Amino acid sequence: MAFQRKNTKKRFYQRRKVCRFCADSTLEINYKDGKALRPFITERGKIIPRRITGTCAKHQRTLSTAIKQARTIALLPYVGKLS
Amino acid sequence: MRMYETIFIADPDLQDEVRKDLFEKFKNILVQEGGILANFDDWGNKKLAYEIAKKSRGHYVCMTYGGTGALITELERNFRLDDKVLKYMTILLEKDIDPEALKQQIEAEAQAEAEAKAETEAAKTEAAKTEAAKTEAAKTEEPKAEEAVETAADETGEVEAGTEEIEEDK
Repeated sequence: MAFQRKNTKKRFYQRRKVCRFCADSTLEINYKDGKALRPFITERGKIIPRRITGTCAKHQRTLSTAIKQARTIALLPYVGKLS
Repeated sequence: MRMYETIFIADPDLQDEVRKDLFEKFKNILVQEGGILANFDDWGNKKLAYEIAKKSRGHYVCMTYGGTGALITELERNFRLDDKVLKYMTILLEKDIDPEALKQQIEAEAQAEAEAKAETEAAKTEAAKTEAAKTEAAKTEEPKAEEAVETAADETGEVEAGTEEIEEDK
């Protein structure tokens, strides 16, 4: 089995994700811009983990505070609806 | 002195005069408590992400100002007392600022804004000229190509939208 697995090169290649805020320094994380934060929350309104979006740790921290602030002032939903 | 930013959501169904009075009231409180208002941004009516007090729309206002902790407590007390305010949120922007420097900055910004306004007015007249030229060109080319007319129409539409914005600013 082990031998077989070694021979069958079934490892699929995944492109390394890059933090989009590191790649483009002009992008700013701001809680007032609810639309810009939309890609980082699910339809249900949950914050998407950085292993999915590829955001770096530093920017994910600022991003999550921004999303939480936006929720407080009703720019983003706490609980989104399934559309 | 610290730099703060407060966003509050006012009732969307208010009359314009009542709303103006409400904003004046909060501005007065800010000045009374020794705050320096740097920016008063009226976002207008926006859709809320969730209902607040059975309302799905709200009138957003964003204030940026320098002040002390006492000012915040007083301001938020008034927000809580007032039924016309649905929700508010205050955020600390900077922990230590110089009040004199802030005043100077505000003045400089006001000057820059006035200059920008003059520039946009100049641009407006220029845009009007180019617009007229374009429409003329479009008229002449009308039988030849319909596409050119369409693009010209689009561009004029954009220019018109721009002028409307400027008028609102005034």
